Amino acid sequence: MSNYMTVRTKSNRMSFQIAKKTSWILLLLSLLLIIITVLGLSAGSEFIHPFTVVKELLGYGNGEYDFVLHTLRLPRVLMALLVGAALGVAGLILQGIIRNPLAAPDIIGVTSGASMGAIIFIVYFMGSVSIQFLPLAAILGAAIVSFIIYLLSWRKGVTPIRMVLIGIGISALAKAVVTMLLVISEVAATTKAYLWLTGSLYGANMQDVYLLLPWVVILLPLTFILARTVNVKELGDEIAIGLGVKVQVYRLLFLLISVMLAGSAVAFAGGIAFVGLVAPHMSRMLVGRSFAGLIPVTAIIGGIIVIVADIVARTAFLPKDLPTGVFTAAIGAPFFIYLLFRTRNQ
Amino acid sequence: MSKLSLRNKNVYMLFALFLTFALLLVGCGDKSSNSSSSQENENDKAEESNTESSSREITHAMGTTTIEGTPTKIVTLYQGATDVAVAMGIKPVGAVESWAEAPFYNYMKKDLDGVAVVGQETQPNLEEIAKLKPDLIIASKVRHEEIYDQLSQIAPTVAHETVFDFKGTAEMMGQAMNQEDKVKELLGKWDTRVADFQTKIQEKLGDKWPFHVSVVNFRADHARIYVTGYAGSILSELGFQGPKNLTDDSLEIVKLTDKESITQMNADVIYMFMENDEAVKKNYEDWTNHPLWKELDAVKANQVYQVDEINWNLAGGFISANLMLDDIYDKFELEK
Repeated sequence: MSNYMTVRTKSNRMSFQIAKKTSWILLLLSLLLIIITVLGLSAGSEFIHPFTVVKELLGYGNGEYDFVLHTLRLPRVLMALLVGAALGVAGLILQGIIRNPLAAPDIIGVTSGASMGAIIFIVYFMGSVSIQFLPLAAILGAAIVSFIIYLLSWRKGVTPIRMVLIGIGISALAKAVVTMLLVISEVAATTKAYLWLTGSLYGANMQDVYLLLPWVVILLPLTFILARTVNVKELGDEIAIGLGVKVQVYRLLFLLISVMLAGSAVAFAGGIAFVGLVAPHMSRMLVGRSFAGLIPVTAIIGGIIVIVADIVARTAFLPKDLPTGVFTAAIGAPFFIYLLFRTRNQ
Repeated sequence: MSKLSLRNKNVYMLFALFLTFALLLVGCGDKSSNSSSSQENENDKAEESNTESSSREITHAMGTTTIEGTPTKIVTLYQGATDVAVAMGIKPVGAVESWAEAPFYNYMKKDLDGVAVVGQETQPNLEEIAKLKPDLIIASKVRHEEIYDQLSQIAPTVAHETVFDFKGTAEMMGQAMNQEDKVKELLGKWDTRVADFQTKIQEKLGDKWPFHVSVVNFRADHARIYVTGYAGSILSELGFQGPKNLTDDSLEIVKLTDKESITQMNADVIYMFMENDEAVKKNYEDWTNHPLWKELDAVKANQVYQVDEINWNLAGGFISANLMLDDIYDKFELEK
């Protein structure tokens, strides 16, 4: 009993220290996010002075940049922020409940399922059905594949390791379907499909933003409210059950949130890679392991990564506008290798 | 107790953060929807004031677009459209980068001197297009469906269903640019050439005509037969028949990943093209050294020709179609 008490006191003291540090870091990151958002709106084919950008946003502009700012750049920057935040937190949740630092939305089949849904749509329905339904196809694919994985992992409850293994298997299957469709389909469809798989915020509009916004605005606070249990669950199922946490219920709930976050992000942005893996690790380096503190930090870091990647994608090779996913991977891949290297040596 | 209050503080801070974001978003969102609706109003007004002059309604793959007068500043978003514009004697203000010989194919580089590159055909740069302030955009549904609304906000946009139908592209552009006569003249010239070819090839080959033809493309890891599409449709218009043993002729392009399926390529004449690349050449040699390759009718009759990838596949335009036809005349040693 005394041991248990000590752990709690200790963790309380820790959470105090972390919380204080977290608020500072959160404040700094929010500032950084605002700066990067304004920079993202400034950068493009034509550089608009950040001051002018702020003026336009607040409604005091002369409307000179109305189209470029409000129709082209703003939706892209906002989508980048939402997608990055959603993917980051989805990854954070998974790494927490699966207790594996390499967990990412791919593992529970979200990415592969969404890819399958999207590619089936591109190959069989594009042209006859409006392309606006592409995100719906992607999210359906993500939901179905994730559900199958969860169902197959169920044996009087779901254990993380079982789910990881089944997830890898089913994801491989979904990827095989994607590859086959790429081989047998027309060139125009293949080109579109590759772009989708790379992940791109190209052509994002305000409607996309409004469709993605509710998911993020509802699910992130919800995660935060549920956050307390994850810290306990990181200690392992037995301890968590011993502490009175309904492990299976919470695991399902968190999985559901993770699937919805990643699924909605991937549906609009395609297979943007590495954000879900990297953002949680970066925030852990900044604020330690307190899950509640990690949520907003991861969301902001995820958002920053995708906004920066998108700025690079649309300005580094002007007049070309390249897929965002190329650059999230460029940032993420070296970090991933470093991570693998470090965990190997542990 | 201190634990509780701290947690609360954290929660409040977060909610404050989200609220700020939400407000920011709502504010921005409202602004943009206002601005876009006001833009539409302006467009409406412009349309109204111009109806008396030559206002035309063009029905195309993405709907109906009203165009006034004769557009002079056009932006072309696929290779075929750029080619057709040049054929019509029009220099676009902007065009997408070519697939090879960037920024534009050599055969029309001179005509496109000084034309702004607006990015790639698959993801043209909307900001670059807007900067040019065009009065007409030529797009393709297979490539640009998702950005059609944004393009339309920049300028009236007409879209073709595909990227390779040079006649359809020409007709659509003729309508949109108020130059239907010029397009009729161009297509008339093409029809004359097609008829001329058919007479001459009939004279030369007699009973052996019509030939079966295969258009083959070697890639680094597989080979393809182009059945319909750009080259395929031109060849069938000329009177050629498709590959002899093709099992599935519903596909525009048949991808062959296994040398066992070389027999699918069988035809009286084979036109092949490939990228100038080591891996591609290596694969080409592997395939053409296979015993099945030597069994093909065209190989036995020494009727295998390497042709230019751009004219035969990548360009998809009117000028390129004529260059491709020139090629066929030459290979059959017919007089043009």
